[in-house]
Amino acid sequence: MANDGYAGRYLRVDLTKEKFTVLPTPEEWKRKYLGGLGMGAKIMWDEVPPEVKPLSPGNRIIFATGPVNGTLFPPSGRYEVISRSPLTGWWAHASAGGFFGPEMKYAGYDLIIIQGRAKKPVYLHIDNDLIELRNARHLWGKNVIETTDQVIKELKDPDVKVACIGQAGENLVRYACIMSDYFRAAGRTGLGAVLGSKNLKAIAIRGTRGIKIANKEKFNRLLEDAFKRHSPEGKYWEYIESFRKYGTFSLTDWENAIGRLPTKNHWTGYFENAEETIGMEPMKKRHYKRHASCFGCGIQCKYSSIVKEGKYAGTESEGPEYETVEGFTSNFLSTDTNALIRANYLCNIYGMDTISVSHSISWAYESYEHGILTKKDTDGRELIWGEDGMDHVIELLEEIPFRKTKFASLLAEGSREAARRTGKGSEAYAIHVNGLEASGQDGRPHKSLGLTYAINVRGADHLTSLSSLDELGYKEEIRRRYKKETVDILADRWDEKYKGYIVADMEELYALCDSALLCKYGVMWPPIYYHQDFGKIISVITGFTEYENPKELNKLARRICHLRRCFNVRLGWSKKNDALHPRFTEEPMPTGPAKGQVVHLEPMLREYYQVRKYDWKTGYPTKKELEEVGLEDVAKELKRRKKLIPVYRGKKAFDIRKK
Amino acid sequence: MSKILVVDIEKCSGCRICELACSWFHEEEFNPAKARLSIVSWKKAAINYPMICEQCEKAPCAEVCPTDAIYKDEEGGAWKVDEAKCIGCKFCIQVCPLGAISFFEEKRGAIKCDLCDGDPQCVKYCPMDAIEFVEEDKVGLKKKRISAEKLFATMQEVK
Repeated sequence: MANDGYAGRYLRVDLTKEKFTVLPTPEEWKRKYLGGLGMGAKIMWDEVPPEVKPLSPGNRIIFATGPVNGTLFPPSGRYEVISRSPLTGWWAHASAGGFFGPEMKYAGYDLIIIQGRAKKPVYLHIDNDLIELRNARHLWGKNVIETTDQVIKELKDPDVKVACIGQAGENLVRYACIMSDYFRAAGRTGLGAVLGSKNLKAIAIRGTRGIKIANKEKFNRLLEDAFKRHSPEGKYWEYIESFRKYGTFSLTDWENAIGRLPTKNHWTGYFENAEETIGMEPMKKRHYKRHASCFGCGIQCKYSSIVKEGKYAGTESEGPEYETVEGFTSNFLSTDTNALIRANYLCNIYGMDTISVSHSISWAYESYEHGILTKKDTDGRELIWGEDGMDHVIELLEEIPFRKTKFASLLAEGSREAARRTGKGSEAYAIHVNGLEASGQDGRPHKSLGLTYAINVRGADHLTSLSSLDELGYKEEIRRRYKKETVDILADRWDEKYKGYIVADMEELYALCDSALLCKYGVMWPPIYYHQDFGKIISVITGFTEYENPKELNKLARRICHLRRCFNVRLGWSKKNDALHPRFTEEPMPTGPAKGQVVHLEPMLREYYQVRKYDWKTGYPTKKELEEVGLEDVAKELKRRKKLIPVYRGKKAFDIRKK
Repeated sequence: MSKILVVDIEKCSGCRICELACSWFHEEEFNPAKARLSIVSWKKAAINYPMICEQCEKAPCAEVCPTDAIYKDEEGGAWKVDEAKCIGCKFCIQVCPLGAISFFEEKRGAIKCDLCDGDPQCVKYCPMDAIEFVEEDKVGLKKKRISAEKLFATMQEVK
């Protein structure tokens, strides 16, 4: 263990050969890619060529931490999982909070790289230097809670941290997730199915080693400041307090107020009376049970909830988060929060991404509404919107993880594939971008979000480049970060101007956040940390003082952004993928505060391409830009594959950032 | 007047910041295994409890110690371990009714809460104010107030 924030080693597990390799984490990986998504991108690029299919043994699945994880700097309890997605076919990452990530580092591993396929179901047990594969035949077919309980019981260690898959992962549901600490989900892009394809049911980890850092005095100063920012003295206390009191579903009220709460399969962004029916007050009053937390968190948005009456009485689970609230209430025009808590519980125990599964089911509901699906297709079910339709949603959540019927199995493929197989115009109701179901956001009332969905490496997600500054009107923060003449325009969430620049800036910021790595709350909702904060904390923890220089820091962020995109470009990603579902670009918002709005993607995309120096015709990267950020080898390979532009000939980007 | 640590279990969310602050202050590293206090968690039920040394009046750890390595720091009121005297017999760990003492692998000896010389870091960093540093004779009053607040909240709910 050096004094650089890293555990110092990484573990490679070859499940086919039943072989473990522990090696020092290379200096190059640390310095050039930092950790988390950065290191994940480096390994995916080096080890997973395009011919390796997502569910084949050759695919890698990487559990990654960063130098900040497990330290006292808040909120540092996350880990990232990186792979190639069985849902979308593109780059995949998902992140979870809880306690698993820091425990990896305490056991002495910055990364766990998994490859191959076990002959029979196994689970991986790590206790400091002990590494073993254990039989998991008896766990196969068990849900997340049963599996976690059983692993803890047979290892005789109540403090062991368990990440596992439920039945959805075993049965290769395309949006199966990985669950850790019972309720924390590495949710998106179907990584649970990747583990399922490898016959790896769980990873159980325990460690008692420490993490040391480069500069104690400077760290203490940053620490004081960071805790102050998470306290009533900080300027975002109002938001933190709200998250602490209600959980992330306080966003439900805020989103509905700006007409951005996806309703009826993203048909509109406004759910009438949401504040009184599914908003933060009724949710808290009806379901709040107990406060909870992830590791090392200054925000503290976690809690557990319970159903107190009706047929689901006694159902209890941590969450639901905002995305799940939207997915199982307004998304189905339902105010039945009991059904919501039940749905959240089922997704958690079977291990399914609540966003993708809710929106795959709502694809079926809207297709049914338009007569494309009939009772013949739905096992005799009438798929109707509203509270009365929620029984069928709950039934489907019980069937999809097991692919029990043809219909359930169709939905288990995700909305893009389900619509492709169904045809008859049902594609119009599969609200995805590049194969990933749209999350609880909408670009029409929040234009920059439209661009975010279009250019994200993993499709329509809200965590790779979303700008919360225009979304929630953090105008003071806009003023602090960006040039004077851009402030009013940036703050206007309906104005496309400069939004390509701010999305690029956010993508870079989140690349640092996901590599260092910290929780996205804290850089996003609310926007507590910005680039210079990352520069400082990276420098004092790792000793890589060059990152206090904004230019070097920006190069690091761009390197990570480019490398992920290049992974996709090598797979065939081009300009045509930087697009949106027509629902967002052609169907004006029908109701609510943003009525009449659509996304005009092109002006934002042009700005974004200027920053990234992508070729407007093909969407390919430029040689010089890749070389400037230290990706010479990547440029060489893309050139060989004829996916590289020698010289950037487009317009120069306007730098909105203050010097 | 000495002060001791008082825990409000209802407030503890189990984030383990106290453990990190403790190991950082004492060992200059981040390692819950080296913390002088531990969060005991039942994750499935979201129940957490920070197990801390209550600085007993009649401390079994000190009484049982064969080398008198555990002594009372009269100034701060904490029972401390004299590393030079500790022989690593682990008797103190076994007799502590709370399990508040741990064995420190690297130093091959016992570690316990020393109240950070009067400025407990767990109290300083706890984001939920679940641990407070209270004067001994006010502990009872403090607990009464916590109970009364809960009772009051319940009464409000019933109304």
